[in-house]
Amino acid sequence: MARETALVRSLVELADTLVSDFDVIELLTGLANRCVSLLGVSAAGVMLASPDNDLRLAASSSEAMRVLELFELQAQEGPCLDAFRTGEPVEHQNLQAGVGPWPRFASGALEAGFRSAFALPLRLRDRTVGALNLFNAGQTPMTDEDLVVARAFADLAAISVVQHWSTIENQLLNEQLMRALDSRVLIEQAKGVIFERAGIGMAEAFDRLRSYARSHNLRLTKVAQDAIDGSLDPAAWGP
Amino acid sequence: MPGERLTRILAGLAADDRGRTARGLCEVATDVLAVSGAGVMLMAGDEARGSVCNTNAVSAAIEELQYVLGEGPCVDAYQQDRAVLEPDLADPRTPRWLAFTPKALEAGARAVFGFPLRVGAVRLGALNVYQDRSGPLSDEQHADALVMAEVVAHWLLDVQAEARPGALAEELELGAEFYFVVQNAAGVVSVQLGVTVTEAMIALRAHAFSTDRPLRDVARDVVERKLRFG
Repeated sequence: MARETALVRSLVELADTLVSDFDVIELLTGLANRCVSLLGVSAAGVMLASPDNDLRLAASSSEAMRVLELFELQAQEGPCLDAFRTGEPVEHQNLQAGVGPWPRFASGALEAGFRSAFALPLRLRDRTVGALNLFNAGQTPMTDEDLVVARAFADLAAISVVQHWSTIENQLLNEQLMRALDSRVLIEQAKGVIFERAGIGMAEAFDRLRSYARSHNLRLTKVAQDAIDGSLDPAAWGP
Repeated sequence: MPGERLTRILAGLAADDRGRTARGLCEVATDVLAVSGAGVMLMAGDEARGSVCNTNAVSAAIEELQYVLGEGPCVDAYQQDRAVLEPDLADPRTPRWLAFTPKALEAGARAVFGFPLRVGAVRLGALNVYQDRSGPLSDEQHADALVMAEVVAHWLLDVQAEARPGALAEELELGAEFYFVVQNAAGVVSVQLGVTVTEAMIALRAHAFSTDRPLRDVARDVVERKLRFG
């Protein structure tokens, strides 16, 4: 009962942090720590896919875990990588140095004090965005109940990551929109400056601004800024 | 049920391809909400940047006033990130917008409502709704406006996603009002007065205020060489 209460509280707290501006690394670190406290594993870590689909370390519950996960990435073998590549859970595996599916990884894990490993993909519908690594100093597999909890954590991590990515994408679009608008404002002001200095029409002022930028291989906004600052060569608006 | 509201709005946008233009977007808002008019204001860094669309002269005036004066329902909705409701501009419960209110009344608005445009943590501006008679929005209208604001916010990001790098989305280039004539005039006046464009902008605003004329009209006179500064 106490564990269920703690679990529900964890899920609610984690879901709460999803609401608006959230730090995805902080959330995933909290999630890794909760895996340790609620699942009875020795260490937990989260890896995320980069835009070019390479796994990168995102969060770890301990320094030993962080080092081992980096080793896993370097060796390009281990439960996390398998879970990510297949999109399927990697069953509990007792580790033996130099043997099994990940001989090099197993040696490193044993050296770090872990004797069994388990991993879940972070999936949202068809998209695998990373993996959750769970390592144990002992060799007892998790119970079915533990597995359900681990799955819930992995799902929550996947949702938070996808949401984080779409937030970044939206922020970028909004910034692009504002930057495009800023550029236009500069150009419109520069048109006014040249209009007055050269005594020509607005359309003509723009043509001269643009042809000067082209013939001198300069960005239009740079030429516009110079016109506004008064540092532009008067030849720019000469006929 | 937000799903049903959303369906109604999307059906409105699909009809006659109204979702393809900025103006269509505001027309759908007016129809769906059954209000006198609607506008969409783009904002950044607490500053109004322009009007994406509006449906008539009154909603255009409401947007322009906020652009010029820096106050009004959209500015508040964006800055406070919440719906801002003024059901009776002529007899407001809380006096606010000292410069905006008399001008908006004069333009023909009696009630104004602002709804923030946001997608997740990204804030883009506000949806502006007005009525030519006083009275609050119904619960239905209010709920529709919240969904409409969400649709508008996504629409803005979607059209910008299609834009060339560094350029404004075509829909905005064609349909939105960014008051570029005011920027043109600021450039002209900066030369006439030998000051920076920022100072020239202040001079333009001061002139518009003291002669009680819309900033855009003053700017137009400047670029038509009917008005000189200095």
